[in-house]
Amino acid sequence: MSRQAPLVIDNGTGYTKMGFAGNSEPSFVFPTVIATHQSNSAGSSNSAPTTGRAPPPIAGKPSHLASKRGIEDLDFFIGDEAVANSKTYSLHYPIRHGQIENWDHMERFWEQSIFKYLRAEPEDHYVLLTEPPLNPPENRENTAEIMFESFNVQGLYIAVQAVLALAASWTSSKVNERTLTGVVIDSGDGVTHTIPVAEGYVIGSSIKHIPIAGRDITYFVQQLLRDRGESQQIPPEDQLRVAEKIKEDYTYVCQDIVKEFKKYDADPYKYFARFSGEHSVTGRKYDLDVGYERFLAPEIFFNPEIYSSDFLTPLPEVVDTVIQTSPIDVRRGLYKNIVLSGGSTMFKDFGKRLQRDVKAIVDGRIAGSETRSGSHIKSTGVEVNVISHKRQRYAVWYGGSLMASTPEFFNVSHSRENYQEYGPSLVRRFSVFGSAS
Amino acid sequence: MRLFGQRFRRELAIFGMSLIRSFALIQPSGRAAKSPSTRLIQASDKREEKGSKMILLESHSVIINDVLTDRFEKPSRADIQFVDYDNVRFHLSTPSSKTQLLLSMSIQCWPDLVKYGARDHLQHEYAGYLLDEANTEPEYNVSLLIDLDKLPESPEAKLDLISSLAHLKSTAMSSPFISAFNEQSSLQASYKEPAGAQLADQAPAEAKGDLKIVKYREEEAIYIQASHDRVTVIFSTVFKEETDRVYGRVFLQEFVDARRLQSLQNAPQVRYSNREPPLEIRHLPGLKNGEDWGYVTFVLSPRHFANPAQALATINRIQLFRDYLHYHIKCSKAYMHSRMRYRVAEFLKVLNRAKPEVASEKKTASGRTFRTR
Amino acid sequence: MSNTLRPYLNAVRATLTASLTLENFSSQVVERHNKPEVEAHTSPEVLLHPLVVSRNESERVLIEPSVNSIRISIAIKQADEIEKILCHKFTRFMMMRAEGFVILRRKPLPGYDISFLITNFHSESMLKHKLVDFIIQFMEDVDKEISEMKLSLNARARIVAESYLSTFA
Repeated sequence: MSRQAPLVIDNGTGYTKMGFAGNSEPSFVFPTVIATHQSNSAGSSNSAPTTGRAPPPIAGKPSHLASKRGIEDLDFFIGDEAVANSKTYSLHYPIRHGQIENWDHMERFWEQSIFKYLRAEPEDHYVLLTEPPLNPPENRENTAEIMFESFNVQGLYIAVQAVLALAASWTSSKVNERTLTGVVIDSGDGVTHTIPVAEGYVIGSSIKHIPIAGRDITYFVQQLLRDRGESQQIPPEDQLRVAEKIKEDYTYVCQDIVKEFKKYDADPYKYFARFSGEHSVTGRKYDLDVGYERFLAPEIFFNPEIYSSDFLTPLPEVVDTVIQTSPIDVRRGLYKNIVLSGGSTMFKDFGKRLQRDVKAIVDGRIAGSETRSGSHIKSTGVEVNVISHKRQRYAVWYGGSLMASTPEFFNVSHSRENYQEYGPSLVRRFSVFGSAS
Repeated sequence: MRLFGQRFRRELAIFGMSLIRSFALIQPSGRAAKSPSTRLIQASDKREEKGSKMILLESHSVIINDVLTDRFEKPSRADIQFVDYDNVRFHLSTPSSKTQLLLSMSIQCWPDLVKYGARDHLQHEYAGYLLDEANTEPEYNVSLLIDLDKLPESPEAKLDLISSLAHLKSTAMSSPFISAFNEQSSLQASYKEPAGAQLADQAPAEAKGDLKIVKYREEEAIYIQASHDRVTVIFSTVFKEETDRVYGRVFLQEFVDARRLQSLQNAPQVRYSNREPPLEIRHLPGLKNGEDWGYVTFVLSPRHFANPAQALATINRIQLFRDYLHYHIKCSKAYMHSRMRYRVAEFLKVLNRAKPEVASEKKTASGRTFRTR
Repeated sequence: MSNTLRPYLNAVRATLTASLTLENFSSQVVERHNKPEVEAHTSPEVLLHPLVVSRNESERVLIEPSVNSIRISIAIKQADEIEKILCHKFTRFMMMRAEGFVILRRKPLPGYDISFLITNFHSESMLKHKLVDFIIQFMEDVDKEISEMKLSLNARARIVAESYLSTFA
């Protein structure tokens, strides 16, 4: 009897991606949200766990079926269904900034994810979960406690998201050696992280966050449309949706912003696109022109000053700083392997532009030091590679699926037997696996 | 005589299947009339279960449902592997072209199911889709081929098809139950009322259908036996952990006791025996008995499968019994965890009262405090 | 029932209050170290007589005083299998979070369900009578909690069984 496929669950701040190992896409992607009936309980999910939380409902002795008292904690929805029921239920987001804040809600979220959506008996499966870099070990222990004691899973592996994103890049044809050293640029909806990883271990001190991500690009598109007067066409309640659609379907990264402007001005009919939409309520049709925003939108990563006034460092510079603050012996490896992950890195030619810009910074510095040395020392040059691949959108999940489908996975996971022997402190350490060795 | 009985039985079986099949066609269309999208159907389904929310488990696969709904709209490549309860594996793929969807299922107890006519049953249910054994995907037991170019026209029929495909596992699992139900009715027909009621109880050679064994999990099995007035379904259960065993015993005891309620008089009788296998199967070799083992017996009376609709509902419900039990044991543990989290936080509060207030607590402008360690 | 609980708790409270007289006492074996003597067991002369306060066979408290530390071990009432497992779960859950409870020992003494270790550092930085209050409150609440948990487990099981069976009717 072959082993059942491990479950791969990637709980992110915004979305949860889950499915079975060996697949190329998660089976379910839905918001990490839980809708519960008690309106006030656990409302203070972001404050310390000790402050005013209503006690869990005390079960009474129900006399007959009609009164379902005592089982209120099963009255909840997760994901899309939670959003659909937000009128009668109150929504909670158990994960904040990548870390689990409300364990009660998270436990129930997992409960329903596994039983209702994946339809798996956790006793028969290994589970791979993900965590953000610098997750406190206590959180891992709590996770293990839930997974092993509530769900009796066969085995558990908790992987760092950035490491999985690196593993996902092995599918790219540009990658010829399977290494777990590299910089991961993970850009989702809320925030963009630049995370250096050396041989499977995150270099925590050099991580940088950029407060520009998918949502900002959408706002920027919306703002550009408004400035050009195009948005009069769009009904106000649809504006954000239309901006998002334009962002997803029409935008790309240009190589030179000035040339691109000239190109558009010289022949607007060739480059301007038409977007036709339909009023979501009345069904009225409307058309609008999509112009400069096609290349300006993703440009805010490279020239943030066109959008933001308080964050002004372009992405290539951030990447360079991250690598320069990492230990000197891994810097070459980091430059060589810059990996993209997350939906907001999907713009056409994003990787090409990033590679060019980082290369320019590096070459400039090398040239500078060569001149300063009086042209006595010649550098051999530094290889800069930005890797984009097909699985970028759900790279973390895909990396997890890839790792969990190797036979090695079962050896590096912690099994239930070991948990019972050593207790939760077991999960403080996980061995890194999958590298070239 | 015996030969005649068999023939009769077979005819009955075919009759029963066609009834069920016709029901399967009717039932989803009834749901479809309520709303056009499947997602809404799921939601409305849940409402109908008198607000029971996540108490009961659904018997269809959400993944098949979602993927097929999507692919029926716009065909695209697929290669998805997924599972269902009780060691069932699915593989949904497009081996030749985008419009040829191949849905394969591997089910652990397939050899048992075949014995009880699973293939014929599936042939009935999925006529036109089921591939014969030679064309079944390797490593899988059943393969269905859905040609997206030859889908039924009306949206209702499409929804029916999706729903029946999503029930693939429960349909396959239902064959031993159906044959037991049919056996029961033939036994009932040939059963001669003995002279005295007391005699019937003592009659040693009470007519019984053959015992069907479905080893649906590595260690656990379902035993089904028909007799002239009932069908007995026995689950052997094992608990892997001490906590599960204790919780499980509490749950099972309540299953036994619940029938005392007036409102549940019509429910099947439930018996539970710990360690010792019940009489019906005691003669079988290789039965385990130990602390961790328990045997749950459901006695289904003919009214539970009086008409095909009821039979189908009963089958779908009863084959999920083990998953239902284990699901709720896990939910209870989760609930206990949240209680304990709350209580521990309360205790911490009490303990922290013992710490004298530090007068010079520094605060930042936003009101946060520094903690000294 | 509570008429035997009250004197039991009172006895524990009185004993604890009396024995919580700790001083900063350096180790006589290792220079410039201060070890909880009741744990280290290196100098028998600084250990005091251990004391058991017992309500009945299953419920008792062991108090082991010494010059600079005191160890309190509690055996919690467990009437049946369910209470036993719930009690085990609960104490384990609490001991997992022992960092928060500064005075909680990560392992109970054999034969007991949960142990506390109070050293002179604790009694110096915390209010003594409140510490005693905590222990007493813990003993009171833990019994209540476990019986409530048991009740709710039964109630859940009942609802679950009824919901399942009602679908057949």
